Amino acid sequence: MATEDERYRQSSQFRLWSFSPTSLRELRNKTNDLAKQQIAPRFAADAQPEFLTPGEESTLVQFFTTELIRAAQFCELPTEIRSTAAVFFRRFYITNSVMTYPPTELLKTSLFFGCKAEGYYIRLAKLAEMFPNTTSEQILAGEFLLCQGIRFAFDVRHPFRALEGAILELRKRLPEEEGRIAKAHAMARDILKFSPLLTDAYFHYTPSQIMMASLLMVDKELVEILIPAGSRTGEDGDKHMGSNAEMREKIIRTIESCRSMMEKEPPQRMKEYWETPELVKSLKPLRKKLQKCRDTDRADLVALQRARREQATTKVKKPTGTVQSDGAVFGEAVDARDVKRRKLEGANDLFGPPL
Amino acid sequence: MALSPVVTTTSSAQNQNTENFQTLRAVSSPLKALASGSGQTSSNGTPKPALAPAPTGQTLAPTLDLAEQMNEEEKRKYVKGKKLGEGTYAVVFLGHLRSSPATRVAIKKIKVQKEYTEGMAPDAVRELKHLQELQHPNIISLLSVFSSKDQNLNLVLEYLPLGDLEMLIRDTDNVRYGAADIKAWMGMLTRAVWFCHENFVLHRDIKPNNLLIAADGEVKLADFGLARSFADPHRHMTSNVITRWYRPPELLFGARYYSGAVDVWSVGTVFAELILRAPYMPGNNELDQIKMICESIGTPTEDNWPGVTRLPEYTVPGQHPTRGRDWYEMRFGIVGTDGVDLLMKTLSLNPQKRITAREMLQHRWWHSEPKPTRKDDLPRKDESAGEDKMGMDLKRRPGMVADEDRGAKVARKLDFGQR
Repeated sequence: MATEDERYRQSSQFRLWSFSPTSLRELRNKTNDLAKQQIAPRFAADAQPEFLTPGEESTLVQFFTTELIRAAQFCELPTEIRSTAAVFFRRFYITNSVMTYPPTELLKTSLFFGCKAEGYYIRLAKLAEMFPNTTSEQILAGEFLLCQGIRFAFDVRHPFRALEGAILELRKRLPEEEGRIAKAHAMARDILKFSPLLTDAYFHYTPSQIMMASLLMVDKELVEILIPAGSRTGEDGDKHMGSNAEMREKIIRTIESCRSMMEKEPPQRMKEYWETPELVKSLKPLRKKLQKCRDTDRADLVALQRARREQATTKVKKPTGTVQSDGAVFGEAVDARDVKRRKLEGANDLFGPPL
Repeated sequence: MALSPVVTTTSSAQNQNTENFQTLRAVSSPLKALASGSGQTSSNGTPKPALAPAPTGQTLAPTLDLAEQMNEEEKRKYVKGKKLGEGTYAVVFLGHLRSSPATRVAIKKIKVQKEYTEGMAPDAVRELKHLQELQHPNIISLLSVFSSKDQNLNLVLEYLPLGDLEMLIRDTDNVRYGAADIKAWMGMLTRAVWFCHENFVLHRDIKPNNLLIAADGEVKLADFGLARSFADPHRHMTSNVITRWYRPPELLFGARYYSGAVDVWSVGTVFAELILRAPYMPGNNELDQIKMICESIGTPTEDNWPGVTRLPEYTVPGQHPTRGRDWYEMRFGIVGTDGVDLLMKTLSLNPQKRITAREMLQHRWWHSEPKPTRKDDLPRKDESAGEDKMGMDLKRRPGMVADEDRGAKVARKLDFGQR
């Protein structure tokens, strides 16, 4: 097995953030269930709100991902950082529900932390200025939450450099077709900036598979040049040929399925669908529904963060025994939550709903 | 002979420490354990890592979000013990695996930095980002990360009880080592740096007290607080990295575009320090550092380094000829002709001519006599001293060049006084 594959399997992206479609679905269902269980007790038994379904949550996350992309473009952030922020945002909402933490806030936090993770130190205040009614504190309030939500995996592997590599290779192989390659390059890059971020491509496929799928969308023949059939005619005869052919078939099948996933969200969908007034309008009922069923205790990240900080500082003053039990050192997160809840009760909606 | 079922549940705990770590790492995705059932990791045909171990015992509170549950699960895998050290940047605790108390770990709790108002400190972000990705026998392994409820980051690192290379170098009264030992240590350091570069990561703070020693004598590169990924062309980087004594001339001249060669220079200065048992070029400030480089190695000029005079902060105190092989042989001869050759190649003024980590590994010195010492036979300090030292090393704010100057240099001067 190629060592490059082994190395990819050591990455946090593979270890922590790659799933089969089934397990991803299970995780999302579980997150949705847990959120409902937590929010339900806050309503009277006869006044239970209608909760979002996992499918509706996904739609909202998708919508807010386009908002994030637009915000990043507005702030003129480089492509890689924009993509990292989008991936962080989507990872966060696999283990956290949209009903628990407000996506409008996490979106800005993802942008800020995306910059930091990529070593691009934008001033917090400068970023806050870019958004209406946004303070530095608001952006920062969700930072730790986001980091925990993404399992402290800050390195995201994108397909952009892979594309540059493939294009160099194609230029070498097809020196007389510069125009065609340049065109494919530009189109594939546009796809990579959008389609894998709006779909689950990053959760199911490797960066090189995503890159190949984007090329497949624009010029199938180029992929055939890069992954030629039976070109590896080894000297050891048919035995290796057989397994190579099998492997190739598997690779092609994987790339094909990645392509069909990404084709659901081609880059033109941004203008023709996500940004249209009709779409924004059609999402209104869903957002209304969200406002009615969300976790009011945790919708205000700033207050939540303050309560946590306060609690942490009071906790530090506790007497330090000679031998501390684990419980004392690590704390019991459950009663922590209760304290915070009590503190926040009655402060509901002080800051109004987001947006 | 039937064993009690109670005993068999802990059978994995009887493995060697290292094996435990490997198991841990292989299943370190709690997401996968939670998403029960599905047999495959992803649809791309990559095999699923080894099965998750039995759950840690207690059932998790159902009131927690999935993200919180996973955090709790990581947290519960470890038991925190005594404090090994505390600094402004972090507190380091001894700890052990709950499932296997013999498997010790170091838990580094990063403090919230009050003076930094932009959230999580960049050094913590960099350290985490790179340690999550790099797994190699010569790089300190990150076993887990979790947050405690006061929102502090806890990094669970492998336990390296034998201190660092610096304390072996400094303890000239009690520690003796020779050419074969130097070769073994340099081999481990070079492999660590090669692996970083192979994964497109620059460490940017290589120095003896960032080289920690495991119980079996293996040297591990630690402190990735100044590390970064290789930059894309045209994206500049800061030149204010690497502790001064180990900083290459291109950074002293303010280069904004540089490569793995900056780390190789540091490796060269560590090599020289291992031989001399004192820092090779301990400059008092940046200008002094440049002066020392000019005197010890030679003045960078357009002849030996085309383009150097156009670097943003190029200034040289005077013209010194580049030192020849004889000069190095006189000072560093104990590592033999081949060793001297390798040293000279790591200390090339022109970064483009400097040997790469990969080329270093292919150098003939490793094959020439004497053979490197086996790691179990390497000189060592006793564990109690090493434990304190590990606490000190890990709690230090990563790459704080200025901080370093106040405290550490005074200590070093005292050290020299004893010689």
